[in-house]
Amino acid sequence: MSALALPNRRVEDWKYSDLRNAIDTDAVESAGTASWTVSLSGAVEQTAWPEIMPRGVHGDMGALAAARAQTGLFLRVGKGERGTAHLSLSQDGHGRVLIIVEDGAALILRETAAPDGFANIAFDVVLGKGARLEHVRQTERNDAVRIGDYSLRLAQSATYRAHFADFGAKLSRTELHIALEGEGAQAHLSGVSVLDNGGHADVTTRVVHAIGNTQSTQLFKIIAGGKSRGVYQGKVSVAEGANGTDSRQTAKGLLLGERAEIDLKPELEILADDVKCAHGAAIGDLDPESLFYLRSRGVSESEARALLMRAFLEDAVAEIADEAIRTEVWSQVEAHLQRVSA
Amino acid sequence: MLEINDLHVAVGGKEILKGLSLSIAAGEVHAIMGPNGSGKSTLSYVLAGREGYEITSGSILYRGVDLASMAPEERAAKGVFLAMQYPVEIPGVTTMNFLKTALNAQRRARGEKDIDALGVLRLVREKAKALHISEEMLKRALNVGFSGGEKKRLEILQMALLEPALAILDETDSGLDIDALKVVADGVNALRSPERAVLVITHYQRLLNYIVPDRVHVLYSGRIIKEGGKELAHELEAKGYAEIIKAAA
Repeated sequence: MSALALPNRRVEDWKYSDLRNAIDTDAVESAGTASWTVSLSGAVEQTAWPEIMPRGVHGDMGALAAARAQTGLFLRVGKGERGTAHLSLSQDGHGRVLIIVEDGAALILRETAAPDGFANIAFDVVLGKGARLEHVRQTERNDAVRIGDYSLRLAQSATYRAHFADFGAKLSRTELHIALEGEGAQAHLSGVSVLDNGGHADVTTRVVHAIGNTQSTQLFKIIAGGKSRGVYQGKVSVAEGANGTDSRQTAKGLLLGERAEIDLKPELEILADDVKCAHGAAIGDLDPESLFYLRSRGVSESEARALLMRAFLEDAVAEIADEAIRTEVWSQVEAHLQRVSA
Repeated sequence: MLEINDLHVAVGGKEILKGLSLSIAAGEVHAIMGPNGSGKSTLSYVLAGREGYEITSGSILYRGVDLASMAPEERAAKGVFLAMQYPVEIPGVTTMNFLKTALNAQRRARGEKDIDALGVLRLVREKAKALHISEEMLKRALNVGFSGGEKKRLEILQMALLEPALAILDETDSGLDIDALKVVADGVNALRSPERAVLVITHYQRLLNYIVPDRVHVLYSGRIIKEGGKELAHELEAKGYAEIIKAAA
């Protein structure tokens, strides 16, 4: 890819996230190398960048990040070990992260990001047999142009659970390319985007059921107030012969601002016969009957709206397995709901 | 307590209440009976302040104040409660959390202090027991997956908890078996006091065997066409609405 041709709305995959409009090509060209504040506990090793990288599928920007940042952050959890890692992006720029969770190992990965410049990070994640990764990404509301492009490969019986809590940026794009390569592998993705005026958040997921008896779920909720834009594009592909695939996808939007926009794009590509795939997408407003019911019990209109918005997000946030992180995401969500209502 | 005077209400441009007058004093229980389409639910919604119910003329005074000028939450905080015919299901809000939110919202509106989670729990448990509402039900999302009878009992639990001055029961008897009906009636009777008034809106006389009214009003085509004591309910049950409507015409 030529660095001069940034993805824009004429590129199908970036239709709702016009990067060329959000940032100058020069700024992308001249961006430096990203770095993180890393805190580890348990059996997580931070080691030198390997000579040979595992193969992974990336989008255009992930490929660019990989080309620009020759090395990056490499975390590894050895066979049967477990640990936690908290990555906080401290320096903008192009960056790479490689995470290997070996057979039977487990990692809790938490990502937070504070800088409000341009960040374009390519993640490569490999989960061995029976490995487990619990991943939560929380981003701050700011004017950043940030892209996280994740490539994940799951071996037999590996489990990936991820939650993306996005509160909007000038442009925020989270892109996942997940390959379920071993039988019994499962990926459970969820996320909430709470956007106030000027915010943008795009979550694009691509799940490939490369082999049979694999499972995936996607549950995404978007609240868009003011003039904001929330996007969820979810593609599920079931490879030829991948019988026994089970995939469920739900994406819902709550459109609260007159100039807000929510784009939901579910996509299914099935080349096997014996599969269970269900998807649903819906965009609506707060239910007036529910609002009246709450108000008739003495709850003020603003509190009733906040309660219903929280209820709308409930099942998606509940997908976060770690209670401490879940509680923290809730408090972040609540603070932003107030901005949306204000 | 409640003075409704020559009330006309339109819904979607169509006049539903056509000059309804009604007066309820503190300590009294009144029943409004009427066939389907007579305007019973419109009356209950207009009292609770639902949007889309336009008062075209007449007035509603609650404790001497114009009720129509108040938002639904203000009415609630001032003691007006409507037990709804079709309680709304709200996924994602647990019943217990909803009860706590409603109770404390009303307390705050009256300048009282919040009751903490434990205090609310204790209060709710005590009232729930009498209404045969289980702990498990309180943990579930509000009204989601509740049977018709469970929803109605939960309405009565809310009433018991919020202790309104004016309770309006809109078809609370519909969908209840006889045991549930008694439980609900006991709940309402427990609230009866010289400071409170109750308006029971129903199609059938059955509930009035258990909640015995001081006055009975027959609503037909948006107006009260006949009034009487509790014996009027029995008369209606025996003769049916048609005869009374004919006699009033």
